[in-house]
Amino acid sequence: MQGPKLAKMAWRNLWRRRRRTLLTLVSIAFGGSLAVLFTAMQDRSFSDFIDSAARLGGGHVTLQHPEYLDRPSLGRTVADSARLRSVALTLPAVERAVPRITGQVMLATARDSYGAFFVAYDPEVEDESTLAFVDSLTVGEPFEGAGSRGIVLGERLARNLGVELGSKVVYTLTDKHGGIVTGMERLSGIVATGAPSLDGGLCLLAIDTLRPVLGYAPGESTQVAVFLEDSRRSTAVARQLAAEVGPETVALTWDETQAQLASFIAMKIGGGRVMEAIILILVAAGIFNTLFVSVMERLREFGVMMAIGFSPGQLFRLVMWESGWLALLGLVLGAVVTAGPYFWLAGNGIDYSSVIGDAGAEVAGVGFDPVLAVGIYPRNLVLIILAVTAATLLAGLYPAWRAGRVVPVEAIKLV
Amino acid sequence: MSESKSSIVELNGVTRTFRQGDVDVLALRGLDLEIAPQEFTTLCGPSGSGKTTTLNLIGALDRPSSGTVLFEGHDLGALGRRELARLRRDRIGFVFQAYNLLPVLTAYENAETVLALQGADPQTRRERVMELLAAVGLEGMEDRRPDQLSGGQQQRVAIARAIAANPAVVLADEPTANVDSETAEMLLALMERLNRDRGVTFVFSTHDPRVIDHARRVVRLVDGRVEKDERR
Repeated sequence: MQGPKLAKMAWRNLWRRRRRTLLTLVSIAFGGSLAVLFTAMQDRSFSDFIDSAARLGGGHVTLQHPEYLDRPSLGRTVADSARLRSVALTLPAVERAVPRITGQVMLATARDSYGAFFVAYDPEVEDESTLAFVDSLTVGEPFEGAGSRGIVLGERLARNLGVELGSKVVYTLTDKHGGIVTGMERLSGIVATGAPSLDGGLCLLAIDTLRPVLGYAPGESTQVAVFLEDSRRSTAVARQLAAEVGPETVALTWDETQAQLASFIAMKIGGGRVMEAIILILVAAGIFNTLFVSVMERLREFGVMMAIGFSPGQLFRLVMWESGWLALLGLVLGAVVTAGPYFWLAGNGIDYSSVIGDAGAEVAGVGFDPVLAVGIYPRNLVLIILAVTAATLLAGLYPAWRAGRVVPVEAIKLV
Repeated sequence: MSESKSSIVELNGVTRTFRQGDVDVLALRGLDLEIAPQEFTTLCGPSGSGKTTTLNLIGALDRPSSGTVLFEGHDLGALGRRELARLRRDRIGFVFQAYNLLPVLTAYENAETVLALQGADPQTRRERVMELLAAVGLEGMEDRRPDQLSGGQQQRVAIARAIAANPAVVLADEPTANVDSETAEMLLALMERLNRDRGVTFVFSTHDPRVIDHARRVVRLVDGRVEKDERR
């Protein structure tokens, strides 16, 4: 008997115990749905998270001095950031490339002094899509140009320093040659990101205002932050850039410049995989139960089928077809069940900022959006579909083997 | 499978022992039996006489403990599971006491099953099955599932299924046990007609005197041996 006939028989067999089949399908559907939604939340939050981290200073790929990563210093710079930007922007995967100067600074006011982390940027080539803090400005005005005067502080830092808009802030740092240098700006804005370490320790300056203070040449910076449409292409882009930028510069991916964050995400993804495996095992156990009971109930029938000429292989394939139908129907039902919640979560999300409270949402110094949304990577969706299908088919193997091993004379007890 | 001599089946010195708990039960004790083409044979005898075991052996569903079972000259003991399955598909038809139609298939599909297993082309299958269903009096009932047919109708579908592939022999276990007298007579008449008109070989296992009355050869088994072999 050919495949289509067996497929038809298998389809009809499924509906002999309609309720049991429906319950099994529901378990497959909800298992698959759970796996998809869970993975989609992870994918979206980690993707957003990586993008946030990139927007904090380094981009998805960072072009910088070869020794800057291990020994960060304002003396380790890239001389011609304009050329590096041009090189980066020739790659199709690259959306933006921006020069920045980042480092540590000591801030002092008439009332107090605090250490902080600063980012000096060019407002003419940056916006909120490359620098997260730009859209967190709650007080004052953003810089208008690369040579704009003023200084922007994190909300808590400003409070600690006791400054208001227009107040003088003196900043002290080491210049390109290791000397102590000082500059003075008036507070021009305050940012509130919600991440405690940022609000308590962030300082923004306009890049051309800072360059002369540090003794930098025009176009010199500590890094060129490269932004991609998709963070998963970071490694490929870094490899391409490394081949083109020359020995004075290295191209590092976000997970190399932010190893702590990368470890956190890897750990979370690992935990997610375990969760998904548990879901799949539960789904497979349900399917196995259904198919095994179904086969054991039909041993006599299989004996008859064997007596009239079905081969063991045909009985095996018949049960595997039943398993395959369950997988297909389960996935279709799963898609129907998942579509509504998925698109709602993708569009609206769930705001859990009230759960987090005033402490803010932050991991490894990176603030993240306290709105739980979904957005699954197509590759992960395909993997889940394949995994559910494989689990279903694997769960059918033993019952199918058992069907093929029926001894007709024992099963029938009749002739 | 090549045709062999004049007999379809030969059982030579066949014994069959079953283990029941700690005891060996000897179901057949050196049985010798031959079935020739176009016979209409009944195996009868009291319960435990070995009728069922004999049909199991002829039908390639079981293997003897000793002795040989030759089917068209082939020693069934030497065949593997697949070869036995092929032999049952191509050369043996089964009619069961409880009909044993496949519940998810229609009457037409049940009768067609063996031909489909053989890989016969759809047109051949259709012509053959429609002709057989008409021959067993089930015209117009092709699309009914077993649960939409009476016991007698189901048994007629089973007979059509059994002879669809022109087997060398049809083995029928108590084919009239689950039907009323009128239906039993009708089924026996049908099988007799198929035997007479189409040359189908039937071997029955039965207690039913009506079946025994219709048989042209009656083999009486007692304690696993042939006590009497009567040809009419």
